[in-house]
Amino acid sequence: MTEQHVIQAAGVEFQYRPGQAVLRGVSLTASAGKLLCVLGPNGSGKTTLLRCLLGRLRPDGGTILLDGKPLNKYSPRGLARLMAYVPQTPRSAFAFTVRELVLMGRMAHTGLLGLAGAQDLAVARQAMIMTATLPFASRALEELSGGEAQCAMIARALAQQPSVMLLDEPTSPLDIRNQLMIHRMMQRLAHDWGMAVVCISHDINLAARFADELVLMREGQVLAAGTPAEVMREDILQRTYDVRVELISTGDGPPVVRAN
Amino acid sequence: MTEPAAKSLTALSGGRLLRDCLLLLAATMAVAVACSMVGVAELTANVWRMRLVRLATAGLVGSALAAAGMALQALLRNPLAEPYILGVSSGAGVGVLVGSVLVARGLLRAGWATTPALALIGAVASCAVVYGIAQRRGRLDPYVLLLSGVIINVFNGALMLAILLLSRSADIINFVGWGMGQVSDATDSSLLGLCTACVLTGWAVLFARGAWFNAIGLGDDVAGSVGVPVHWLRVETFALAALMTAAAVALAGPVGFVGLIVPHVCRIIVGADHRRLVLFSGFVGAMFLMAADTLCRTAGEWVSVGSLPVGIITALTGGPFFIHLLRGRLKETAA
Repeated sequence: MTEQHVIQAAGVEFQYRPGQAVLRGVSLTASAGKLLCVLGPNGSGKTTLLRCLLGRLRPDGGTILLDGKPLNKYSPRGLARLMAYVPQTPRSAFAFTVRELVLMGRMAHTGLLGLAGAQDLAVARQAMIMTATLPFASRALEELSGGEAQCAMIARALAQQPSVMLLDEPTSPLDIRNQLMIHRMMQRLAHDWGMAVVCISHDINLAARFADELVLMREGQVLAAGTPAEVMREDILQRTYDVRVELISTGDGPPVVRAN
Repeated sequence: MTEPAAKSLTALSGGRLLRDCLLLLAATMAVAVACSMVGVAELTANVWRMRLVRLATAGLVGSALAAAGMALQALLRNPLAEPYILGVSSGAGVGVLVGSVLVARGLLRAGWATTPALALIGAVASCAVVYGIAQRRGRLDPYVLLLSGVIINVFNGALMLAILLLSRSADIINFVGWGMGQVSDATDSSLLGLCTACVLTGWAVLFARGAWFNAIGLGDDVAGSVGVPVHWLRVETFALAALMTAAAVALAGPVGFVGLIVPHVCRIIVGADHRRLVLFSGFVGAMFLMAADTLCRTAGEWVSVGSLPVGIITALTGGPFFIHLLRGRLKETAA
């Protein structure tokens, strides 16, 4: 991937109700080829930030630029060609098969009725191979395990051929094996496919192990940002989570966090 | 990766949609011809013409309500949504009744477009109120929306009764049949033409939005992220549902539950793809109401009481059906 895509938030403010600010001047930059994990306690504004980055919420202040252009200058279709999103829980109101689901990711590339051509089928197939979802292409989303369903949602996002991928706690309902698999996949998307990947996470240890950059949030503000080595400090984590933590060295990788 | 599925990744094609369309058109024509021949009266040219007008009206009404119901269910991700339950039909009904009172009192000059125009105003007003109540910061709560619909229905029902107090007793008798949803065999051709244009336009646009309806099933955020203009789709769908329902009510009064039963049956037959579902629901809705109305017409002929309102059949089948769906929904929530 030759183009260097980037999403930049600067001084983003947001409130759902007047006087109750959820985001207070949040700034971050997610660059191509890097996995950025946003960490923080419940209610710190992580999901609201992600919805602002996605263009679903319009910030009350600050700017969000995608490749130097404000998000609101993009058409929904134009934005969908550049940026994809994976929600926390893979669910569908209707019984779509995995194939139908993944092909929905091609909507921004197809005509009015969303009818897929040979190119779209090839891209969808590639996305399903990448996420190991091709074997159950004909099964309904609701018949799959949590891990398989989340992989299908990631395949749908990959079918958009995005440059920026936003994921909202994609591993929270999954077991440890699937958590590892999804984190590896996100790392591969950033490092091998050159995407800018932004992931909201609650698992500090997995985030520190796989992310290139960490952003720690508390009460709508960024407390710390940097590489895992810069951010994984007891004092920063204690201020973020308001709990005593201990960093245990593991030798080769980043230290493991234990909350006391 | 060498799974057999790798070789057989297929998708819905334009040819498949065209085949569906032609088959459904043929089936609808067959049902219309079959229905036109049912009855105790001798098939004179006049009887034949009246039956065809009646079947066209019933088909149009069924098609409008079923396609609008399908679109609303997709948009709201709720199989219980439909124009009748959301109060759109009763809003259109209030519009029609207000018009009839104004005309009877000489305050409004009756024209062929008066009834559908007032029905549309009533339907749009009801939609706007229901939508306004359920919408918060760009998010639409499907359950608040359904409850708002129930309340608007009660309110519109009270309005209709109040309007009846201002009507003459002969009009009240007419209203009783109309209020249940009754297809006439003497529909004005201009009115039928206008309503046909409204229904076909609405149906065509909803059909073109089938892919967007699919994506909206994954949630508003995911739909927005794949390129669906979510807010626009909501406004457009409600506006088209109001237009189609207004046309249906102008032709036959508030016929209930067609928009609930038909989409559900279509989902069983077709699956989850709304590009086919909107197409199917329009045709199946037309067939369903033509058959139901033929049953009412012949039953009326046999017992010599004239024609029974088709709304009786749709309500008798739709009411239990609604409860069945609601119980299923509650079980899902409890699980």
